[in-house]
Amino acid sequence: MESTSKNSDITAKKKYLISKGIDGFFEDIYDLYQFILRFFKEAFSAPVEWKEIVNQCYQVGYKTLLLVSVTGFITGTVFTKQSRPSLSAFGAASWLPSLVSIAIIKTMAPLITALIAAGKVGSNMGAELGSMKVTEQIDAMEVSATNPFKFLVVSRILAITFMMPVLVLYTGLVGMMGAYLNVHSNELTSFTSFFISAFKSIEFKDIFSSLFKALCYGFTIGVAGCYQGYYAQNGTQGVGRAANLAVVFSMFLIFVEELLIVQVLNSFR
Amino acid sequence: MDKKDTQIDTQETVISIKDLKKSFGPLNVLNGVNLEIKKGENVAVLGRSGTGKSVLIKIISGLLKPDSGLVKVFGQEVDKISEKELQELRLKIGFSFQNSALYDSMSVRENLKFPLVRNKRDLNDKEVNEAIESVLNDVGLPQTINQMPSELSGGQKKRIGIARTLILKPEIMLYDEPTSGLDPITCIELNNLILKVQKEYRTSSIIITHDLTCAKITGNKVAILNEGKFLKIGGFEEVFSSHDTYIKTFYDYNFTENNKIYER
Amino acid sequence: MKDNRSVIVGIFILFGLVILITTIFTLGGQKKAFVKSFALRAIFNDVSGLAIGANVLFSGVKIGTVKKIEFYGDSQVRVIMSIENDAESHIHKNALAKIGSDGLIGNKIVVIYGGDKTQPQVVKNDLLKVENGMSTDDMLVTLQQNNKNLVDITSSFKSISKKIDAGNGILGKLVNDPALGVKLTSTIDNLQATVDNFKTASLSGKVVMGDFERLSGNFKNPTNSINRIANDSVAYNKIVGTVTQLQNAASSLNKFTANLKTVSDRLNRKDSPLGLMLNDSATANSLKGMINNLQASSSKLNDDLEAVQHNFLLKGFFKKRAKEQEKEKEKEQEKSKGNIVQ
Repeated sequence: MESTSKNSDITAKKKYLISKGIDGFFEDIYDLYQFILRFFKEAFSAPVEWKEIVNQCYQVGYKTLLLVSVTGFITGTVFTKQSRPSLSAFGAASWLPSLVSIAIIKTMAPLITALIAAGKVGSNMGAELGSMKVTEQIDAMEVSATNPFKFLVVSRILAITFMMPVLVLYTGLVGMMGAYLNVHSNELTSFTSFFISAFKSIEFKDIFSSLFKALCYGFTIGVAGCYQGYYAQNGTQGVGRAANLAVVFSMFLIFVEELLIVQVLNSFR
Repeated sequence: MDKKDTQIDTQETVISIKDLKKSFGPLNVLNGVNLEIKKGENVAVLGRSGTGKSVLIKIISGLLKPDSGLVKVFGQEVDKISEKELQELRLKIGFSFQNSALYDSMSVRENLKFPLVRNKRDLNDKEVNEAIESVLNDVGLPQTINQMPSELSGGQKKRIGIARTLILKPEIMLYDEPTSGLDPITCIELNNLILKVQKEYRTSSIIITHDLTCAKITGNKVAILNEGKFLKIGGFEEVFSSHDTYIKTFYDYNFTENNKIYER
Repeated sequence: MKDNRSVIVGIFILFGLVILITTIFTLGGQKKAFVKSFALRAIFNDVSGLAIGANVLFSGVKIGTVKKIEFYGDSQVRVIMSIENDAESHIHKNALAKIGSDGLIGNKIVVIYGGDKTQPQVVKNDLLKVENGMSTDDMLVTLQQNNKNLVDITSSFKSISKKIDAGNGILGKLVNDPALGVKLTSTIDNLQATVDNFKTASLSGKVVMGDFERLSGNFKNPTNSINRIANDSVAYNKIVGTVTQLQNAASSLNKFTANLKTVSDRLNRKDSPLGLMLNDSATANSLKGMINNLQASSSKLNDDLEAVQHNFLLKGFFKKRAKEQEKEKEKEQEKSKGNIVQ
């Protein structure tokens, strides 16, 4: 505790290359780069913390399932409902399944799952690791001969990275079910014909690009949450800040990635 | 509990620090620290808040790297050895944190189990449970085994924190402010615990404190840290017979009723 | 509790995989991704924006997709289709391929049709024949040509009639006959109306052209002259009865009008043939007859073109008026015969 408060006193006296804010920004980028580098180094070195990874998978996957399912269902239903008038204007209400499946499978399922997970899992990681950091639990783990980075950070990032595609599959399914219920209650479309026309406009690469996006988003949420938490400072205030930054940071990056990935994947078409 | 019972092996040095320097930016926290700790010896390090007492033990446990100087634990330089060797070494060092640093998300049992199962993987469940129960008995809190850290009092947390390090049977104990923020009765219990650990686990210890009573009872030696250096190291009586104002002020606060240190 | 977690995580992941695999198989089934297929080729002059992945239909059933589209030769396009093995036994070597369209926005598709059992089945990498039927564009060009020619004719006739009006000598003979004058005027009116109808017809041509295209193969006798049709009741009935013959008439009219143009040009030139015609009363009479015929045929053509505009009513329209028109036509024929005899 003493040392951290001292740290901030000292940084105030440091000479800056440009200004405190801008220097800090570049320092953050460098630290983040180091952090990701360390993640890969430790993720691929034995021993693997299987038990903790499974535990984190439970936390970030299973515990988030209900939330993303409800959100996915609502999104599917509402999107279908809202799209109907404009399609009906062209007498093309029979196109609803294709339209909805394109929207849900290509974009909404990954994006919504990622945003929900950023809010739930990212903030949780930021807050949990942050409080462990400021109450010296991370140091305690280190002196009890456990690598805290590997145990806490690597397991969390791996868990969210690999649970995201699974969650996206669930969200997609539930979202399509929501859309189906709405279409069925309005157009009396049968389950089979709904899914036949829904899949008509979907291709394999759409599904795999969605899963790839999910992996990227998961990794982003994990890195943002753990980075903010692992380097939290200044007591309880720092914990709140870490949780907040984890969410803001990961949501922002998710949108940037969405843009980039869509651009890159479209160039392969 | 008489500290004369403890056996200090004056032949064997466990921790040896020579001209240790550590600074954070322009601030020199440690500026040439020299210290030797023999096997079975307790050294109480006294000093004001912010004089780098915690930094000293964090360097010994390898949490911080020194800028210069020599830090040897069991003959190994903690800042030079590999990560793997450091992990091996850390198994012999117990670290009791100022805020106990219990894992919030785990119960007392899981807290104690964590270092044990992660470092001694060949133990079966029965052996693990026996170890947990015996160490809890040692710190006098067998009833808390299924409680969460948030349900414990400050003193209980400190003792569970110590128990968590004792479960690995360390040879060196590093106590960071073991009595800070505790009531006098709990302080006495903790001081007794430190002595008990010294005797039963045959540990050498560094006790970081600014509580003179604690230093007097638990320390075979007392070292006063000021401005990054030890002003004096030696027996309690010897150190506090000094006329240095810094040392006198320390002593006066704890042991003199009527004094001139207050501006009233 | 911790051990339960790994079970829950396992179930969680398993169900995720089930969703993924079900999706892949449903999608695969629908895209026929896992069905064994073989390649067929066809070379088109124009694929009208056909895209890779477009469906290939046979008798309205999807049997495969377009795999590759590449240029072939100077400006032709080779389309390679991937066809399900199951469909192999139904397609014969003489089957034809064409580009069709499908759906609301008209996605281009390949339609395979025709073929009979006398021919062996197709095998891998066979090249299907392509039917290059008359396109709607071609039809419209023909109609446009007719329009132009008719405009020319009418303007020529106008100038002839002016000259006759102001003329003297033997031309006076024509002018002095009031019946002939009236007939000439109505002929010109009819021709004008015909031209108008042609204009409207070509505007609404897109509607009509589908039928034209279908029937264009039925062109049987392109040398028919409209004169003959007008004089021949059997041929006329054919016009009335079928759109095929309407097509025929349109084409004939094209030739006929071209002839008329030549004739009227000659009339305008005032050199020997005209003198011959004007000095000879027999020629004058036959000119009279010709004008009569022209009047009759152009009024009929009028009817036809009107019918073309309402092409789905075509049959009904003509059926209703068939008898009536036949009577009129007979009268006119008699008249014209009489005139010629005179």
